[in-house]
Amino acid sequence: MAWTPRRSTALAVVALAALSLAACTSSSSGGGRQSGPTPTGAVQITLSHGYTDVEAKAITAQVATWNAAHPKIQVKLLFNGGNDGALQKTLAGMAAGSSPDIAYEYGSSMAALAGRSQVVDLTSKVKDPSFDWNDFYSFERDAATTNGKVYGVPALVDNLALVYNKKLFDKAGLAYPTDSWTWDDFRAAAKKLTDSAQKQYGWAYVADGSEDTTWRWIAMLWQAGGELLTSDGKKSAFNSPAGLKATQLLRDMAVSDKSVYLDQGNGNYLNLFNSGKIGMLWTGPWDLSSINSDVSYGVQILPAANGTHSSIAGPDNWMVFNNGAARVQAAWTFLTWLTSAPTHGQFTLVTGDLPTRESETKLDSYTAYLAKFPGDAVFVLNLTNVTKARPNTKTYPQLSQAIGSQLQGVLIGQSSPQTALDAAAQQADSALTSGQ
Amino acid sequence: MTTTTTRVPAGPSAPRSRPSVLRRVWWSDTVAGWGFISPAVVLIGLFGLVPVVWAFVLSFEQNDLIGPGKWVGLDNYRKLLHDPQFSNSVRNTLVYTLVFVPVCLIGSLLVAAALNRRIRGMTFYRLAVFIPVVTSTVATATMFSWLLDPDFGLVNAGLNKVGIASQGFFRDPHEALLSIVLMTVWGWLGFGVIIFLAALQSVPADLLEAAAMDGCTRWRAFWRVEVPLLAPATLFLVIWLTINALQLFDEIFVTTKGGPVGATTVVVYYLYVQAFQFFNGGYASAIAYVLFLAILVVTAIQLTVGRRLSHGER
Repeated sequence: MAWTPRRSTALAVVALAALSLAACTSSSSGGGRQSGPTPTGAVQITLSHGYTDVEAKAITAQVATWNAAHPKIQVKLLFNGGNDGALQKTLAGMAAGSSPDIAYEYGSSMAALAGRSQVVDLTSKVKDPSFDWNDFYSFERDAATTNGKVYGVPALVDNLALVYNKKLFDKAGLAYPTDSWTWDDFRAAAKKLTDSAQKQYGWAYVADGSEDTTWRWIAMLWQAGGELLTSDGKKSAFNSPAGLKATQLLRDMAVSDKSVYLDQGNGNYLNLFNSGKIGMLWTGPWDLSSINSDVSYGVQILPAANGTHSSIAGPDNWMVFNNGAARVQAAWTFLTWLTSAPTHGQFTLVTGDLPTRESETKLDSYTAYLAKFPGDAVFVLNLTNVTKARPNTKTYPQLSQAIGSQLQGVLIGQSSPQTALDAAAQQADSALTSGQ
Repeated sequence: MTTTTTRVPAGPSAPRSRPSVLRRVWWSDTVAGWGFISPAVVLIGLFGLVPVVWAFVLSFEQNDLIGPGKWVGLDNYRKLLHDPQFSNSVRNTLVYTLVFVPVCLIGSLLVAAALNRRIRGMTFYRLAVFIPVVTSTVATATMFSWLLDPDFGLVNAGLNKVGIASQGFFRDPHEALLSIVLMTVWGWLGFGVIIFLAALQSVPADLLEAAAMDGCTRWRAFWRVEVPLLAPATLFLVIWLTINALQLFDEIFVTTKGGPVGATTVVVYYLYVQAFQFFNGGYASAIAYVLFLAILVVTAIQLTVGRRLSHGER
């Protein structure tokens, strides 16, 4: 009799295992696939985003407005858990055969996504005159384009400007930065704002060797008149007099003047700026909301070398995924509305995001926007100083790492600017060669 | 398994011959056994073995992890031989392991010996030693990056107080790896202490009494009686700590990101950069397999040598 219970236990366990597996597979088949044409003839589409807080409320309200007015195209919002993981989520979704119809993606994800069969080529759609593609800033259009094809519509735009602590300038008896500042003015001010006894620094630079280190230097490279790559994109071009000049400025300030706080990538610079230990930052509008209300700060465009005040931007995009022609069409109709000047203008009025279309600055609501977010005014003006985009290539992460790591050596005084550039250019070229 | 199911008798009352009894015994034990472990086997197979095999295939491909790959034979492995960044990461990993394992081992032994006695509040001390082990790596790393901040950190403030100049720690290429050792020893010490403490407490008291009666001092008894009896625990710890040291990643990812200038780029961090920043899945898999083989060889050597030593001492 001992046989039966044993056998049934074994069967029960096997059955349980099978059940738990079945549960796993059935729960993972959810997601974007469920939505589709509903019985009433309306199309339901999904939009995946990483907005939180104020921005999440704003997009939810806008989508509710749209859904009420457009019964035939119903939009469902999906929170992606944070945009930092958007690329990985999107790729996993593709592998599983379930993509949202529209997704928010970092500009840096463009090269990894473009050209895949699930990603909709928007080139012919944006060329429609009614869409007014040229109303987007040119660098935004560049960042949404790869190999001559458009794969995204700008969702958010940022740029780097000079944010300074007015109190520290007053205390040092310095005039506030102007829009005609040169690198020399900038360096001299940083030196004067530095007080090693008080552990006070003129400037902060993120020196963790990541893209954070690289992109600020790219702005300097552009200011000095340099280029990252040759015009055909096949070789590096930054090991040039302009590149040397930019790198030399970093060395002069960080090593000779010791006027730069080297942040190790943990964002301490913002806490220190709040505590009055750092005089100037090169940062974007995203940091403004983290500056304490008792810190009186000003915003100015970046200083110039040779009269060029170039800035750099990291535009993010909405990308469309192929879930059948009907849904692509519905997604495009919705996206056209969402990224139109009046709709995005309303969004910025709530969130303080910068305008993505030039015509947004001519809307009636723009005055109210500037009154509500005075710190943004310079950032909006500064958009015209962004004339170039970082290259949208699969090898860009390798380029960025090569440059960032070598700049780290310069900032801590370990390597000379020329040695660092030579090494970075050599690494970048070998990455470019093997990536072709 | 399926072939045996076809001839299962209808019930327990069915007439049984010798072979069918054997078959039943085989059937019930095997199936019950497999049945009980099947959830674990399926999950480990799915999330452990399949990726292991897949990575092996990947290591012979040029693959961006999403699209179809291209077969390149041994190219990835050949490239590894001539990759200065890879050899740098190997060097860093070796230096880290050679410093971390002995420091952690000796530290754990001394702390365990100190905790192996009856004094007031011992539970508190033991708890205090173990807390870093269960603290998340990210929290530990964030705390250390503040403590070791060259400009505003508490550690430099303390050093300055006693007249020592400020150190660069994570920012200085010569100190960054040692700072990582310091941080990880802090995090791992409690683990070693627990293992040693358990081993110390299983040392028979009569051995120590016998030693004492023979005129052995407490100190000598520790080194001559207790430490040799700790050999199996030590061997386990050496292997465990070595494997973990060779796979160091989280702490680097949160603090230095491999910098400054590659001074803390260890093998697994380099693998991560290749796989998930550059999307060179094939190359990263080749690195993973080289590391796997290295760990296999090191562990095999440790086991052989360790067993011989501990038997010899008894």
